[in-house]
Amino acid sequence: MRRTIDADFCIVGAGGGGAVAAAELAEGGASVVVLEQGPRHDADDFTAHPPQMLARLYRDAGQTMTIGSPPILLPLGQGLGGTTLVNSGTCFRTPASVLERWRDEYGLELDADTIDACFDRVEYSLSVAEVTPELAGANAAVARRGAERLGWSHGYLRRNARGCVGSGVCVFGCPTSAKQHTGITYIPRAERAGARIFTGAEARELSRERARVSGVIARISDGSSLEVRASEVVLACGAIHTPLLLARNRIAGASGQLGRNLSLHPATAAFALMDEQVNMARGVPQSFYVDEFAGEGLMFETVAGPPAYAAMSLPLRGERHARAMANYPRLAQLGLMVSDSSRGSVHSLGGHPVIRYSLDAADLARIRIGLQRIEQLFRAAGASEVYLPLAPGVAPGAARARDLRMMAFHPLGTARADARPTHGVTDGRLAVHGLRGLRIADGSVVPSALGVNPQLTIMALATRLAFELLGRPVPRKPKGSVPDAEIATTSTPT
Amino acid sequence: MSDGLESFLAAAPWPQRLALCSLLALARRPRGAALLAHAPLAQEAAGATLALGRYDDPVVARLLGWDAEAVVARGRRLRRAEGRP
Repeated sequence: MRRTIDADFCIVGAGGGGAVAAAELAEGGASVVVLEQGPRHDADDFTAHPPQMLARLYRDAGQTMTIGSPPILLPLGQGLGGTTLVNSGTCFRTPASVLERWRDEYGLELDADTIDACFDRVEYSLSVAEVTPELAGANAAVARRGAERLGWSHGYLRRNARGCVGSGVCVFGCPTSAKQHTGITYIPRAERAGARIFTGAEARELSRERARVSGVIARISDGSSLEVRASEVVLACGAIHTPLLLARNRIAGASGQLGRNLSLHPATAAFALMDEQVNMARGVPQSFYVDEFAGEGLMFETVAGPPAYAAMSLPLRGERHARAMANYPRLAQLGLMVSDSSRGSVHSLGGHPVIRYSLDAADLARIRIGLQRIEQLFRAAGASEVYLPLAPGVAPGAARARDLRMMAFHPLGTARADARPTHGVTDGRLAVHGLRGLRIADGSVVPSALGVNPQLTIMALATRLAFELLGRPVPRKPKGSVPDAEIATTSTPT
Repeated sequence: MSDGLESFLAAAPWPQRLALCSLLALARRPRGAALLAHAPLAQEAAGATLALGRYDDPVVARLLGWDAEAVVARGRRLRRAEGRP
């Protein structure tokens, strides 16, 4: 059975890009339908048990893997909120140097005032504020001590959280709903403004009338089918799934760029055994950064989690693993994130994404240096042992790609924006080249690595797109300001 | 195997599920574990998955200072008290 509904805008995907576009468009008076493949999550179902939460909140239980050297785990969220539901909440604006590069290399003219207004608006909506040292906890204190002793630039991260008490499980579903992911911020705003949200709705077909996309046909989880006829369709399925939907519909292939140019932030993390009690899961896991080497493409951010999470990622085996875990309360952890020059691709095999990505020599060199610097920082902080994510017996300077234990975050670029139709999938207005009625509002349009966590960039671009579709300027300043006392409690994490 | 680990494996794409279940079956037997020692990546995958389950056990986690149930109960109380979603 197929139902048909009409709307001004049909948005596919309710993560960082789609939810923002939906709320802004609906509040602007447009009729909006959102199709989200995943479910609506209820915070009452969050258990703080990593295996259960990986199964419920992540695509493929968090086991999405790249094919290449080395294989890399690429966790992606699913459901209302998308990956904002399971990220650590870190908020950086797009670095000015990146915006300049977009203008020079991709012909993307982003008016500085407009993009600033978008960032202001998103940060206000998500209660973005700097983590307090008290809330950051002892894991951040270790990193801070090391950075200070070495004289390395550092600071507390800005996050989208409100009333956080440092539960320590941002990536496994915030049990206090303190993290302001789009599933509990922008989506309710969209609904209050009249948007219709369909979960369990997998977009399959983009309806076309000549050179214009006129709607979306989705398969609903109850077996029925839903057709949304819309003046504009906005794809926001993320950098892995948006190119697959386009390719399935034989759209946007002319440039030869669709599914290519995949940029990731290859990441890994090391542990250290400290003399003091750290209890890494008490406090905000990702709360502190060291950006001394950001110019070299290296960013360090604290990461942490409960024992099950630590046990899974601790790069030791057998008796050494057991001994280190017995000392879990004294373990500290610091992550390394690389602004990559490697590029990968994504294509479909039987409807499932096949992600190819191998580290190039420059990224491998960055990771080697990054691991050496993590060890240096931990030693400076007083660590008695440092556990690097390498195969046994391998020194960081001699590590080959296959020796590395890697994850990656922040996939970008697979439907990149470029003013030239031969070089990109969308133009600077995020309209698909050569086609009317189709825009993209997710990480796939971001044409290069950012070197910082991208959620704010994606949301700001979605805000800009929404106001352009409404034919209105982005309001310069949000009304009022977020009361700081409500954003971050100063209570010590327990 | 814990319920959590079962749900983690059940939600995995079938190739990973098949591979991980096979690796776990090997890792739990002495001869299988000896075999895995010759395949470091497979051994790590099995070890990490087993560790995920083992340290998620509430008894083990509490010994290490982590009480998931208490964290969740506090979160629920705060959400109720402050009218959060």
